[in-house]
Amino acid sequence: MNNNGRWQLARGEEGYPYELEDLPDPPALLYGFGDPALLGGGLAIIGSRKATPYGRACARRFAAWAATHGVSVVSGAAIGCDLESHEAALEHDGPTIAVLPCGADVDYPLRAAGTLARIRRHGAVVSETPWGSDPKRWSFVRRNRLIAALSVAVLVVEAGLPSGTFTTADHALAIGREVYAVPGSIFAPECRGSNRLIRQGAMPITDVAELAQALGQEACAEILPEVSNRLISALVASPMRPDDIARAFDLDIVETIRTLGLFESQRLVTRYQDGRYGALPR
Amino acid sequence: MREVHGQASVETTTLVGTEPVPVEVQVDVAPGLPAFSIVGLGDTAVLEARERVRSALRTGGFRFPNARVVVNLAPGPLRKHGTGFDLPIALGVLGATAQIPRDVWTGCRAVGELSLDAAVRPVPGMLAHALGARRDHLPLLGPLASAHLADGLPGLTFRGISSLGMLLAEEHSMPVPATVPPRVTLPELGDVGGLKTARRALEIAAAGGLNLLLIGPPGSGKTMLARRLGSILPPLEGEERIETALVHSVAGLSEAPALNGQRPFRAPHHSASLAGLVGGGSPPRPGEVSLAHNGVLFLDEFPEFAPSALQSLRQPMEDGYVTLVRAEGRLRFPARFTLVAAANPCPCGYLGDPVKDCRCTDTTIDRYRNRIGGPLMDRIDMAIGVERLDPSALVHAPCGESSAAVRERVCAAREHMREADRPNVATLSGGALLSACRLTPRTRQTLTDVGRQNHLSGRGITRLMRVSRTIADLEGSSRVTNDHVMEALAFRREDLR
Repeated sequence: MNNNGRWQLARGEEGYPYELEDLPDPPALLYGFGDPALLGGGLAIIGSRKATPYGRACARRFAAWAATHGVSVVSGAAIGCDLESHEAALEHDGPTIAVLPCGADVDYPLRAAGTLARIRRHGAVVSETPWGSDPKRWSFVRRNRLIAALSVAVLVVEAGLPSGTFTTADHALAIGREVYAVPGSIFAPECRGSNRLIRQGAMPITDVAELAQALGQEACAEILPEVSNRLISALVASPMRPDDIARAFDLDIVETIRTLGLFESQRLVTRYQDGRYGALPR
Repeated sequence: MREVHGQASVETTTLVGTEPVPVEVQVDVAPGLPAFSIVGLGDTAVLEARERVRSALRTGGFRFPNARVVVNLAPGPLRKHGTGFDLPIALGVLGATAQIPRDVWTGCRAVGELSLDAAVRPVPGMLAHALGARRDHLPLLGPLASAHLADGLPGLTFRGISSLGMLLAEEHSMPVPATVPPRVTLPELGDVGGLKTARRALEIAAAGGLNLLLIGPPGSGKTMLARRLGSILPPLEGEERIETALVHSVAGLSEAPALNGQRPFRAPHHSASLAGLVGGGSPPRPGEVSLAHNGVLFLDEFPEFAPSALQSLRQPMEDGYVTLVRAEGRLRFPARFTLVAAANPCPCGYLGDPVKDCRCTDTTIDRYRNRIGGPLMDRIDMAIGVERLDPSALVHAPCGESSAAVRERVCAAREHMREADRPNVATLSGGALLSACRLTPRTRQTLTDVGRQNHLSGRGITRLMRVSRTIADLEGSSRVTNDHVMEALAFRREDLR
């Protein structure tokens, strides 16, 4: 091991994660920061960069569960779902591993620099590309196979079409890892990819109990609060703009906007970046 | 025929910005080789007066002296520009050669351009010259075509002539047929089906004079909406009319719409230069921000404007005027406007579109947004996402409320503000805004909670209160209540993209 907690492991060397041997082309050298003993047997939680609050909330919820149950959260540190799951794991003092498409010492994406620094201290940041190398177009797909190999299962929380998460899922299947997906609204383009994975055979995960069961952990019953308000139920199904809501419920627009504001301040709904409102998963 | 020699001096004004500065036109007709020269820092247009005056005198039934004619424009160091000196120079030549009686020009101002057939024509900024004459308690001798200006300026004596020949007529001013400029019909808000949230936002922006940002994919109707803001604004009143008309007059545009109370709507293209936007050139002309004074400045494709041009909007948005500093000095144009900006959500325009995929990366989206810049963004009070209308919604949506109905509410809200003796909410901040809101402890708590929850900055809270205060005014409520805050929350621009 080098100073500053940086290390590099050659294939065959002691500490080189044996899970990588499942790959047809394991990296000859693995570069990293943090604790190499954390590598292997984690849960990959991945999703699209342009995540909706729904996708983020899902990533956060399942990562939090994994963190509190000693399962390391593996992801790619990309903006959106990836970063959300890393952060949730860190917040719950759980192990988390970021696999980068660039040098393990490079802060990519730049916006994730703070989170990456924390992962380097409390988890592990690894890469198969040399120190200081910039991300290349092809290195993202290559990186995805490492995410799959270092996990027992890959959970896709939200993916549109097309999506980079498919390559991770493909790699996972090729080397005998499980693929799970969180279902989303059939109206949401942001969920088309994850829903398609389910149609293709990925196991749908609808709550943490199911995830626990799937991973062979002790299932814990989770009680979701009942949603009584029909407006919120509608937003659970699909995010809508105030205009659509007013039309669907035959409400006055001012009344609609005020109700949404009230629900928002009660954290029942949230405004998306494009002006739509969606229910906040609790 | 014996040549009459002599001197005469005629008063006129030249414009520095919108400010009429008195200039004395001194004419000396002296024996010597025939010559005609103009001194006193006139620009090309001023020097060309020689040819126009020479021809106009002849065609107007007078003669140009066969002598040495020198025209001096005093004060000497002041740069003078424009064709308004034609008439005073002609008067001076006629006076110096005793072709017209002295009382025709003494004790009055004269401004007007001459054509070769002796007709007297208006010049840009006629209204400014007229205001100057009123200020200095002098009658104004000018083109008959500008006689309508006197109607809007009580206290101004205007003597209109249509040609030089009229100088010898008994009656100097002919009765002017009242010109009623055609009332421009503004685009009607009732034509917009659906887009109820956006319509509500327009109503609030109109009532409070708040700056509004519309974000939406191409073809979502951002431009259509913005163009309709003019139709729901209350008409210009009193001094506002003169202020706005003055800028338009100086820029060489018709002052009639503003004098009739119509608020200006300016929509410069995003290729507009800095000088075009805030004013400039030689002589300095008012830019789009000043032409939008007391009206609406609509900037479509907001992030596509040159960054320097966008940043130059900050001073007028803060102070309500533009200061241009030139070698000759500084001048100030008024520029108090409501900004309506429209932007695509991302460079390709399809971010968040339910059907079409967005092909932009986070980096390009960030770069696109950052072009606007934080300090300018801070001055935008409200933002809304405008959706691309579903064709079925467009067909089924009944036509919305008419402009007249909305304008009535807007006027009532402004009336309510006036009764409460509050200045424009857009200019309020800090303690003044807080006391204007008259919050109950409960609403104060709500505001705090909402601010913390949405990570609003101090300025974010200020904007939220401005919008809330305006919504309360639309309802005729003296207090801002929770309902108003909840509605204002939907129009916050934080996190919206």
